[in-house]
Parts: sequence; C-alpha cells; structure tokens
Amino acid sequence: MAVIKGYNMPDDLYYHEEHSWARVEGAKVTVGMTDMFQKEAGDIVFVDLPEEEDEVSQGETCGKIQSRKWIGKLVAPVSGEIAEVNEELEEDTSLINSDPYGKGWILVIEAEDEDQLQTELKDLIHGDAVSAFIDREIAKTEEERAKAEQE
Amino acid sequence: MVSASKKAMSREWRLFKNLERSVSTAEGLAVDDALPRSVAGHGSSPILHLYTFIPSVIVGKYQDIKAALRLDRCRARGVEYNRRSTGGGTVIMGPEIVALGLGINVDYPGLRKGVGGVFESLSRVLIRALDHVGIRARFQPKNDLEVNGRKIAGLSAAAEADTSLLFHTSLLVDFDIPLMTDIMNTPAIKLADKGYNCFSQRMTTVRAELGRDFGIAEMMFAIQKAFEEEFGIAFQEDSPDEWEQDVVRRLIKERYTREEWIFSHRHPRARMGVGRLKTRAGLLEIYLSLSGGSIEHVLITGDFFSTSKDLHRIENTLKWTSARRESIEANITSVWHDDMIYGLDISTLTEAILLAKQNQVRL
Repeated sequence: MAVIKGYNMPDDLYYHEEHSWARVEGAKVTVGMTDMFQKEAGDIVFVDLPEEEDEVSQGETCGKIQSRKWIGKLVAPVSGEIAEVNEELEEDTSLINSDPYGKGWILVIEAEDEDQLQTELKDLIHGDAVSAFIDREIAKTEEERAKAEQE
Repeated sequence: MVSASKKAMSREWRLFKNLERSVSTAEGLAVDDALPRSVAGHGSSPILHLYTFIPSVIVGKYQDIKAALRLDRCRARGVEYNRRSTGGGTVIMGPEIVALGLGINVDYPGLRKGVGGVFESLSRVLIRALDHVGIRARFQPKNDLEVNGRKIAGLSAAAEADTSLLFHTSLLVDFDIPLMTDIMNTPAIKLADKGYNCFSQRMTTVRAELGRDFGIAEMMFAIQKAFEEEFGIAFQEDSPDEWEQDVVRRLIKERYTREEWIFSHRHPRARMGVGRLKTRAGLLEIYLSLSGGSIEHVLITGDFFSTSKDLHRIENTLKWTSARRESIEANITSVWHDDMIYGLDISTLTEAILLAKQNQVRL
C-alpha cells in the first residue's frame, strides 16, 4: 500500500490518467476510481454505468460519475466486455469515497485477448511512474491556484 | 491554419448572445451541448452562450423528473419541462433569469483544475459580474452564489467529449417564488405558507438586491465584461456555424424533444421525508429529499431561534452529501458555531435529520 502525498495509491494497480484504476487477475480487470479522484470530487451522488456484456475500448468513456453538481467521466483503463457492475453502488455511492479500492469498485472488464491486455497495460501508469503522475496532478492544481492568487 | 488545440486555447472567445427572444428548453439546451462538442471536435475557441428561456423548469441529468416536479401543474401553467446534461437539481428558468452555457477546454490557462477548482474559477467571474452591477456575492462551496446567505445563482457542470467541459449557470434577475412552490414537488411545498416563507428567505434576485428595475441586457453585459477581465480575453460576437447548427438540430430531434431523454430512468431512487422532534430549543421540523443515498434537498424549520443565513449555511453544507449519520454529523460540525440554533446541539439536529430519513416515502 503506497501513500503518495497523502493519496493512497496501491502498488499493485494500474492507473489511467483520467483517474480510473485497474486490478488485473488473469483476463479479469476490476475497475474503480482513485483515492485522489474521490478526495478531489467530494461525495459521489450517482454513478451511471454501462450494461453487462457491453464492449468498451481502452480510453473510452464508459460511465459517468456525479459529485456535487459535476458530472465526471469513468474512462475504461482497458478494452473488453463488461462482465460485472457493482450493484451495491446503486444503494450506496459513498462506497467510492469510503473504500475506493475495496467495496467501492465499480465494474469488471473481461479482456478478450490477453496479449492485447498486456500491451494496453503498458500504456497505463504503474510502479515508479505513479509518484510522478501524482506530482503532475498536484502541480497542475497548484499552478492555477498560484496564478489566481497573483492576479 | 491554426490547429484545433491552439484555437481551444485562444484568447479570442466566441460569444453567442441572444437578446431577441427567449428560447424553448430544447433549443437552449441543444445549443449549450453543442458548445463543448465544437471546442473538442470542431476546432472552436471557447464559447460563451448568454440567453433566456421561455417559462420553464429544468432538472439535472440524474434527477427523477416525476419525483422532482408536479408535471400536471407545469402543464396547467404552460411551463415547459426538460432535462439538462449537467448535474445538480431543479432550476426554474424564464425571461427574467440569465442562462449561461460555457464550452471550454479543462486545460484552458487560468481555469483552475479539478471539480472544486472549475466551480471556483467560474464563480469568481460571476462574483465579479455581480460586483460590476453593485452586488457583493460570495461563493458557497456547494456550488451556489450567495448574497448575505441567500442564493442568487446556481452552477453545474459536466465533463464532455475529449477534455472539454460544459458549464451551466442560472442567475436570477427576477424570480417568481409562488410559481416555484406550485410546480416543484418539494415536501415543504405541501405546507404552502411555510414553504413560501422558507424559499423567500433563502433566495434573492438582482432586482431585489438593487431595489430597482434592472435589465437582462445589462446583466449579460456585466457577465461578458467579467469573463474578459478574469481570463484576459476578448469576445467576438458570433452565432453557430453550419456544423454547430447541424449538431443543434440533431440534439433537438434526438434528445431534447424525446420522452426517453426527458423521462430518463437512469437516476437514483428519489424519496422524501419529514422529521419532527421536540427539543429544548423548540420544535424542529426537517424536510428531506433523498437522491439514492445522498441528500438532494433539506429544509430546517421549526419554532427555534436562528437566522435564515445560518440555517441556509447548514442546509447547503448538507446538500449533495451522503445521508449517513457520520457524514451528516461531520458536515454540520464543519460549519457549526455556538448557538447557531439557540439551545440545540449537533447530535440533536442530526437525530431530527435521520428521523426525516426514516420517515421517507418512495416517490
């Protein structure tokens, strides 16, 4: 379990730049949103999920997440078929806030081609690159804040 | 030729300003949806759309419209209803309310990043616009703009194609509270006189603040000027080009005039409840609307001593947050000060809210 600048970013996961995470177990990939996303977004009030058996491609918006009055995107970190969606979220979306890597998982994608999955995983952020990703995300926010304060 | 991404970051923005007529919900919302699409896929610079709607009511993308509105009253009064593509709750629109749609790239220089950052950046513009007309407003972090604790504008947004963003605002120049109490299905409305009072204490308008007549055109000009100053840009008055008109026509036909969209079923379960609790401070009456597991709307009423500003502050901090006990308690604690409600403590107020949650009925 790695905590980077106050954000929990587990070592074993792969991350998409749009803040979805992927946990790979064979051809099954569990997907959720990062701790940094949920902290930034605040209370999640609704998730609009794809149907089981829908096909998604890496980088495609496959769901929408509403927090406060903002509707954000759930971006598929890998390609494949939606094998399962977390039905518990229908009753309690706050699981994404309280347990983003556990009970707050959002869906499972089943990759059809394991070679393609391995190639796609290389396009995601993993291992040592995670810390630099968090730094970049923090820098973006701080730059704009500094500019706003200067004016 | 300038590349699409360069144009998206241009310091010359396009302005679609419509002062000639108020538009239907389908037309206004379709033009707004075309804005981020044009920025993302058509190489447009950021576009600001300033306009007014005909008398109408618009629910958020994931609201249950039948739970939110009394549709029979809307039809009887000739008030159009529709669903927008951004988040949040019900807004009443009309010829005296400025509607604002903005399509912009999330990485635009000067636009703060993240959900909170975007709302804060765009609130600064609206605060500046209101300041230009002589009104001191402040940002309420749950995405509303307030003047002395009363709501004057509501904000909502959605991340759209690519890295573009659609931002919506309604700014009240004038407002018809009796109309709102008649067409909205809020539990407090069932107590008509009390409901009226609750809303009139929680909302204000440009005309009410200035104490005089004030034109929509003047307000739109102030907004335009505030954007120019805040982002260091200049506007070029424009109208949708052919590509954009085509998108608008398609959205009107395929989305905003279709029952599948307006009565969409992809929304959390809506429930309402009333909680009454006798306390040392007096009788507490809580009216609660829930959207799934989240609080969409809460009204704190009763015969205790407090100010409408303080009550609005507590209500606002609870809006769009989880209805779990620990979340309610933590959120109230974050704004609480001594004697906010004279003689009442946080845990008793939380109990009353949870009582309203227990008494909820499915709509």
